[in-house]
Formats: sequence, structure tokens, C-alpha cells
Amino acid sequence: MQWLEAFPAMAPEQLSALKKYIDQGFRAITREYGEAIERFFDPLKAFLIASERLLTQSPWWAVLVAMALLVLVSTRSLKLVLGTVVTMLLIGYFGMWEDTMKTVSMIFVCTVVALAVGLPIGILTSRSNGLQRLIIPLLDVMQTMPSFVYLIPVVMFLGIGKVPGLIAVVIYALPPVIRFTNLGIRLVSAELMEATEAFGASNWQKIWQVQLPLALPTIMGGVNQTIMLSLSMVVVASMIGVQGLGQPVLKAISNQYFTLGLFNGIAIVGIAIIFDRASQAYGKRLQRHSEVHHG
Amino acid sequence: MKFSFKHSLTLLSGVAALAVAPAAFAQSCGSVTIANMNWQSAEVLANIDKLILSKGYGCEVELVPGDTMPTLTSMMEKGKPDVAPEAWINAVREPLDAAVKSGKLHYAAASLVDGGIEGWWIPKFLADAHPEIKTIDDALNHPELFPAPEDAKKGAVHNCPSGWNCQITTGNAFKAWDAKKRNFVLVDTGSAAGLDGSIAKANERKQGWLGYYWAPTAILGTYAMVKLDAGVPYDDKAFKSCNTKADCAQPARTDWAKSEVLTVITDRFKKAGGPAVDYLNKRGWNNETVNTLLSWMHSNQATGEDGARYFLKNQAAVWTPWVSPEVAKKIQASL
Repeated sequence: MQWLEAFPAMAPEQLSALKKYIDQGFRAITREYGEAIERFFDPLKAFLIASERLLTQSPWWAVLVAMALLVLVSTRSLKLVLGTVVTMLLIGYFGMWEDTMKTVSMIFVCTVVALAVGLPIGILTSRSNGLQRLIIPLLDVMQTMPSFVYLIPVVMFLGIGKVPGLIAVVIYALPPVIRFTNLGIRLVSAELMEATEAFGASNWQKIWQVQLPLALPTIMGGVNQTIMLSLSMVVVASMIGVQGLGQPVLKAISNQYFTLGLFNGIAIVGIAIIFDRASQAYGKRLQRHSEVHHG
Repeated sequence: MKFSFKHSLTLLSGVAALAVAPAAFAQSCGSVTIANMNWQSAEVLANIDKLILSKGYGCEVELVPGDTMPTLTSMMEKGKPDVAPEAWINAVREPLDAAVKSGKLHYAAASLVDGGIEGWWIPKFLADAHPEIKTIDDALNHPELFPAPEDAKKGAVHNCPSGWNCQITTGNAFKAWDAKKRNFVLVDTGSAAGLDGSIAKANERKQGWLGYYWAPTAILGTYAMVKLDAGVPYDDKAFKSCNTKADCAQPARTDWAKSEVLTVITDRFKKAGGPAVDYLNKRGWNNETVNTLLSWMHSNQATGEDGARYFLKNQAAVWTPWVSPEVAKKIQASL
């Protein structure tokens, strides 16, 4: 009755053989398809490099003015614009401008990619209960699987640098866009949809002119979450060679440089607050606008 | 009444015996914490120390996770953990020497008898295909062989992980050899995992790779890599005064210093450890032994403990001289 005393686990030799077998299979796949997968992501790499060049090589005041204008347009709040300018000036003054630009560029591209992938999936999910049952558990896995686990295959396929970093970030930051888009569209009232149907709207018109605009405030909540999650992945992504504010944090960890870590951490928090307030204020403004028309 | 009194007396004496037993052990060695550093050669050595100290000397051993700077800082400031089995002390020499001088810490045996070897490496298949590449200079003449991940027109030198001292020495070597002018970029690998991953990928896919690495390591036991000759001798003065400093203005072309890799123990353990300390004053192995062991571990996905057991079972000739014959017998009996 040995199985009563110790758990009847697989024999260690078998277990190690199994692990080795899977690893070898994985290596064979990277040898076979690695090149093709790398080529597939080339446009993304070009996008990442272009975005980083734009932000790091433009003069700092131009970037600052552009950021201030963007915040002004999206929030119409002078207080937030002032906060943004002061935060960015402090970041620059403490010598973290270039790293911050690299991080902002990375977050920007990650958010664009997450939206480009997440919005269509969210819309499809909202239209089919079957698909929703399939997608939701998948999103749960994406959000809970420790990122180090998928860093291994990502590095084997794509090496180190921006693209593998982006993939790691997007895997983690994508779920909110899908969830919130799905939810936002499902929350559009049934009566309203009946009315649009009565007016003879086509499926396409229903999505683009009724459901999406009404779901937009909710979707903006998802975008906000995506940006925040991307920022929280900055340090993990820097472990596979993504430049930016994460690298000095890693340096601080391995050398016990308390101040270096704190400064860069505060810079991350600073841009997180700017992005968060800006996207939230924008979402609220969208809501007000819709209330005036439909309320 | 009488019976229960007797009964409780035996109970009491039993408890007393139990309480005395660890105290008796403590005289010979006591409890000891060993830093389990987060790279493979140190991990397996920490596990070997654990097995030998617990089975051979009756210590109560606890392994605590560690990394060079955090562990040594903690040893200097707090006197914990007691033993750092594989400390690459080049990076922390000044504060560590001061701590040794003041008597807080002590150097025991050199863990790696040959010392740690650092430098720039390329995959062996590449070296075989291009026998003309022997030195760092030769490699830097061929940026096309080592395409950078983000700009294929340039060559790449893979840097050491963020925050490690080798990040500074590699950056300075990059400057000293004018690599930028020679159309190379310095690629940040971020972490040891990132650096290892880039080497594994290059070897699996037969792509060019050039960068910093060090021996003894599992990667070098697993993938055949060739260390490039620096092409210049080691310049002690330049290396210590400039190349190892982040703000070095004029880095020199120099080979890497052979790293001294020592066992560091706290004053408390040196006084309390008894014969176990003698073991730590003797214990050390050469790079070939370590590379072979690590390669066995890697291909069997073995943990540090598996590796330690495998080593103690199969390499008695290496480790028995570290301990007395009686202790060796005790350890062998426990395997």
C-alpha cells in the first residue's frame, strides 16, 4: 500500500524524460519555424523602432508641447495639462528623459497593438455566447500565467529586444480591452437595439453607429486598464532587453541602489498617472456627450 | 499518585534529553545558513555544502536564496547568511576587504581554483567556419557575421545583464575597441535569462552571436562556445582603476582580470562552526569539473540538489580530500 503513504507520482526518470522530450520538440519547432515567425513580426519591429526614434530624436520641447496638447484635447482640463508639464519637466530634470521616452513609446505601441487585436475579438465575443465561453477562460489564463513562463518560448523564437518584450506585454495587457468591449456592447439596451432594427439598420450600421459609440465609455475603461497593465510590465519586459525605465530599476535591484530604483519607480508612476487621468477624463467626456444626446 | 509522579519524572527526563540533544550538536557545528546564489555553479556548490555539512558534520543547514550584492551586503550589515559559497568578489572588493579587515567576515577557500573566466565569446560553429576570427579585434572586423536584432546592417555585442559589474567592463571594452565606429551596437540583454536565451537561440538557429559570458556555466557545457582572445595582455592598473568603473573616461584595451571566486563566511560561524570551518577552508574545484557537472545537470534538467548528489556519488576523488576519512565515510553512507 505504498500509494497511501506517498503520493503515487510519476517516476522521476519518466518525468524527466517527458520534460526532455517536450523541450526537444520545442527546440525542433524553433529551429524549423523561428525564422518565419521572426519575419512575420518584422512590420511590428519597424513600427516600434520608428515610434521610438520619433520620441527620442525629436527635441524635448516639441515632445512636451505635443503631450500637453494631447492632454488638453482629450481632457479639456488645464489642471491636468499643468500636472503633465510639471511631471515631465521633473523627469527630464532628474535625467530620465530618454528612458521615459523609450518607455512611453513602448507603451504607446503596446496599446495600439492591444486595441488592434482586442477590439475585433471583443466585438466578435459580444455577438456570440459560444465564443464568449471560449474566450473568457483564455483571458483568465493570459492574466494569471506568470509572465516568466512565456518569456522562455518568446525569447527562443524572437530573441531579445523590443518585439519579444512587446509580445510579453501585450499578452498581459490585452484581456481588459476584450473584456470591456464585450461588456460595453452587451450593455447597450435591448430596446435600443430593437428600435434600430425597426428602422432597418444593417448589421454593420448597428455595430458602427449604435453599439460601438454607446459602448465607447466602457471601452475607454478597458483602454485605461490596458495602459496601466502595460506600464506594470515595464520592469519584466526589460529583463529581455527592452530599454527604458525598467533597465535602471533592474540595475537598482541587483546593486541595492535605493535612490536609483526610487527615482525610476516614481517616473513610472508619474507617466502612469498622466496616462490614467488623461484616458479616464476622455472616457468621462465621451459619456457626458452621449448622455446629452440620448438621456 | 506515586505512579503518576514517576511517570511524569520519566517524561521530564525525556524532555530534558530532547532539549540537550541539539545543544550537543550545537557544540560541533550548530545551525548554519548558506546563500544559494541564483546561478547554477553556485547553486550546486551550495547544495554540496549543505549535504556535506549536514551529513558529515551534523550541522542544521538552511539554504537561503541570494545574489552577489544583496547577499554580501546582508552578510556585511547583518551577519546573515553565514556562508556565501561562491562569491565573485571582484565586483565588491572594496567593502568586502574592509569587512574582512574589521573582522566581521572571513575569506575561506577559493571555491573555483582556476578562478572565474570572463570575456567575449562566439559560437563554435561560427569559429569553425571562420578560422580567421581569433581575437576580439578580428570579430569586430566582421559586423556582418553578428547581425544586431534591431538593425541588421550593424553588428551586435551582447552585453552582460543590467546592474552586474560585467555590464560596466563590457561597456568599457566596447568603447576601448572602438566598436561603435566599427559599425557595432551594444545590445542590452536585461537579465541572465535574457543573455542565456539569446545564446540558446543563436545556437539552435545557427545565427551569429558575439557577447560577454563567463565560465564555469551550464550554457558553456551545453552549447559549444569559443572564448575570443583579447589580443592584449591583462593590464592590472587600467582594469582596476578605470575599466571596472562606470565613469571611466579612457578605457584601455585589456583582457579581463581572472576573477577571484572565494568562499566568504561570517565571524560568528568561523567561531561556532568548529571542524565544519576547516572543510570550508579546503573546499574548491576546477572549472572543468564544474562545466561537466553543470552540463550533466542541464541535459537532465536536474536541480542543484540532484547535481550535488550526482557529484558526491560519482566524483569521490574530487571531494574526499576536502574532509577527513571518517567524515567522508559518514557522507558516503548517507547517499
